[in-house]
Amino acid sequence: MPSDIHKEIVVLSGKGGTGKTSVTASLAVIAGNSAVVADCDVDAANMHLLLQPDFGQTVEFYSGQLAELDQELCTRCGICADICRFNAIPFHEDQYRISSLDCEGCGYCAQVCPTGAITMKERRSGNLYTSRTKAGSTMVHARLDIAAENSGKLVARVKNDAKAIAKSENKQFIIVDGSPGIGCPVVSSLAGACYVLLVTEPTMSALHDLKRVYAVIKRFRIPAGCLINKYDLNEEKSAEIRQFLKEEQIDHLADIPFDPIFSSAMIEQKTIVEVSLPLKHLMEEIWDRINTRLNTKKEAI
Amino acid sequence: MKIAFTATGPTWESLVDPRFGRTEYIVLFDEEIDLITVVDNRSVSNEAHGAGTATAQKMYELKPDILITGNGPGDTAAQALKHLKMRIFVDAHDMTLAKAYDAYTKGKLREI
Repeated sequence: MPSDIHKEIVVLSGKGGTGKTSVTASLAVIAGNSAVVADCDVDAANMHLLLQPDFGQTVEFYSGQLAELDQELCTRCGICADICRFNAIPFHEDQYRISSLDCEGCGYCAQVCPTGAITMKERRSGNLYTSRTKAGSTMVHARLDIAAENSGKLVARVKNDAKAIAKSENKQFIIVDGSPGIGCPVVSSLAGACYVLLVTEPTMSALHDLKRVYAVIKRFRIPAGCLINKYDLNEEKSAEIRQFLKEEQIDHLADIPFDPIFSSAMIEQKTIVEVSLPLKHLMEEIWDRINTRLNTKKEAI
Repeated sequence: MKIAFTATGPTWESLVDPRFGRTEYIVLFDEEIDLITVVDNRSVSNEAHGAGTATAQKMYELKPDILITGNGPGDTAAQALKHLKMRIFVDAHDMTLAKAYDAYTKGKLREI
């Protein structure tokens, strides 16, 4: 099992909009300087709104490929434009041009070009930042360029950087805000995790997606706990979720009642624990429970 | 037995990589001839997507009898590996390859 130097906690939800990032940012504030925070929800990175990092260090990130057309070699034959499934090579003002927003980097055009005018180049997909947050913790996060997408590769990079910092600064925790869904970025965010915190809400789609994401977590044999946000909006569905947690032996960490403070705090660019004392106490309790669980879990051989 | 490890580095003292698809190295140990070979998998771990199936493909080429790794392959990679007669042992991450091999020989690793 993962090293005793730092414990890695990944927050996931399956469905988006359940309050995952509000919860993650709150835990990050509570953990303060003992944690490194990694925002792996890069498609819709928003934790920076709540934790106000200083964007201290910036590096460019390259992922995937982009076609590049050399106008000197192009004979305007149009074969590339015909075979491109993404219509990414429009003819405009007597020239074929690669539309970087539409190009998926498949490389088909470069294969068929009779004059070798098209080459595949590494695509710059965004910036990677290492920042200091208002809670005093270090945060690794990214901002994607327009039409660039999150990937397992980018998540792996964010996590590796966070791990290296945790090691060199001797931090106890890495708190990872994961992506919604169950795709490549989610799988990548789970590698080496000690515990998964699931944030769900009492809706049919949230329970459906919770089951899907838990199937992935189960495959990797990572212990998990769940909190039901806005539980009082649909008590019946909440009961159904609790039943599922029981069947799968997922720790039921807490029920959080619906509270408009989640939205108003966000508008003020604050975490819920900074604006509400009861929620602060509740989140502290959840953090304690997770810690107890991390310390009591069976040691690997 | 030919044993494959997912590894974070190219030596016997490197840590086992928890990842299957995005493992940086695959280290092979052939017990019979006492030979270690290292496969650099960084071209795969640098792919944006599809790392799991690409590494599974490598397993078909390398044909180890045993795989020692961390979290274990994900769904898609596991399906691709089904037809390979390879036993998979997991939860060895944060052990060095030497320690993981020792744990394996003592029957202490979990098989999936």
